[in-house]
Amino acid sequence: MSITRRLFVSGLAVTAVLPTVRAAHAQDKGLIAIITPSHDNPFFKAEAVGAETRAQELGYETIVLVHDDDPNKQSEMFDTAIARGASAIILDNAGADATVAPVQRAKDAGIPSFLIDREIKESGIAVSQIVSNNYQGAQLGAEEFVSLMGEEGPYVELLGREADTNAGIRSAGYHDIIDQFPDLEMVAQQSANWSQTEGYEKMETILQANPGIKGVICGNDTMAMGAWAALEAAGRTEVIVVGFDGSNDVRDSILNGGIKATVLQPAYRQAQLAVEQADQYLETGSTGQPEKQLMDCVLITPENAGNLETFALSS
Amino acid sequence: MRQAILSGALACLMLPAAACKIVPNPDPDAQSEASAAQTDEARMAAYVEDRWQGEVLPVITDNTVAYEALQAQLGEGLDAAGAAHGLRPEGEANPWNFVVTGSGTVTEAKLDSRAAKMQVDMDGDGSADVTLQLGPVIRGTALRDAMPFIVFTDFRDQIEFAKLARAMNDRASAGLEKPEGDVVGEEVSFTGVFTLRAAGDTPEIVPTELTMGGAP
Repeated sequence: MSITRRLFVSGLAVTAVLPTVRAAHAQDKGLIAIITPSHDNPFFKAEAVGAETRAQELGYETIVLVHDDDPNKQSEMFDTAIARGASAIILDNAGADATVAPVQRAKDAGIPSFLIDREIKESGIAVSQIVSNNYQGAQLGAEEFVSLMGEEGPYVELLGREADTNAGIRSAGYHDIIDQFPDLEMVAQQSANWSQTEGYEKMETILQANPGIKGVICGNDTMAMGAWAALEAAGRTEVIVVGFDGSNDVRDSILNGGIKATVLQPAYRQAQLAVEQADQYLETGSTGQPEKQLMDCVLITPENAGNLETFALSS
Repeated sequence: MRQAILSGALACLMLPAAACKIVPNPDPDAQSEASAAQTDEARMAAYVEDRWQGEVLPVITDNTVAYEALQAQLGEGLDAAGAAHGLRPEGEANPWNFVVTGSGTVTEAKLDSRAAKMQVDMDGDGSADVTLQLGPVIRGTALRDAMPFIVFTDFRDQIEFAKLARAMNDRASAGLEKPEGDVVGEEVSFTGVFTLRAAGDTPEIVPTELTMGGAP
């Protein structure tokens, strides 16, 4: 029964993804599965596009799948990739703990995984884990926030999704800087789960309880966009908002004098790099790099926001 | 009597956590469990303490370059200087870290802060060329990233790896004899580590040795 069900489910999944399979170049090097969270967040879309473009350039077919941060859905997608005989999996995962098992399952089936953006809590299962240097980036964002705040005043922190290591590491980086300034007082700290809608709702509620706030530091750009919309609706556009990611939405807000700063993660390049390492691994049996790799982040302010496009900074 | 016991119990509860620490008897079989139960901070502090004399300081000694020599080399480009003297983890676009030694004159000092700093003029032109981070709160991950024996893959996640950077900085800061009073105009000699992202950036050095008033 369970076998039938699994076949049925993966059959469904295969049917669902068929339209996105594209015939690649003549030199057929196999299939690369690209699995990310929802493309509603432009960050994940940029990753998927970056990986897909590079994979096709290198002569691979691609399937692009979206797990919506649901570990069960992610697990089914791994079954799909395994059933389709993928050569490699590029993954931005749905949880540091919950992802260990499917990556192991793919490995057991002979399919190497290359992780981007988010880590898993084990090493030795994926071939590469390439993540932004979130600690370094958060410290950059926090220094700018402290300076914009004039080193004093009540502020709010919007945290990301708890199951995601990136939420914790960014918060740690923020506080390693901000907590050095005793006149900066955190009056509320809540998770808005990386979501713009939740960012808006949480900000509305927090603002009612703490009308005196002077700044909001956010774990990502979509929450910053939500918070900024709530502040605008309340006529509180003097409140300082700082984000993290470097999305085009926040870039435009910065250029229009809205959100004050963000921190760019090189998401597009990161996804391409993962594909390049997958290609090298498939061709030579080694990436030539350690499994876990950090990529530095860059502070984005009105001065350089104009050079930012789709998670990449031109010089 | 009952009240006395109650307030006794309360007083015990209110003792600082450090004073109340429960130390389990060491059991060789349970050692890995015991270390797993430690906080990241405590585990990383112990990791650093275990390696400071035997591994960290030798890396520093072996890679120290004089400030003037490094400046001359940086004139030929950051990557040339990095290839000659730098340390950095593998991976794309990781910045170079350098171990530098030198002496100069303090032009500005902020010693009463948790993030105490001194600005130092190295070439005698009266303007500051480097910043010495005295801590206890020290920015950046230069010390950690300069150590070839430290590899990110060996650590659980970025959070643990960040605590390691913090523990390295804490250890460096704790090992310094902090200057006091008005130090502007005084001479200072140091050896320390810094990350350099662009050749023209001001080095923010994490000293591992510091002596006020001339060469040691």
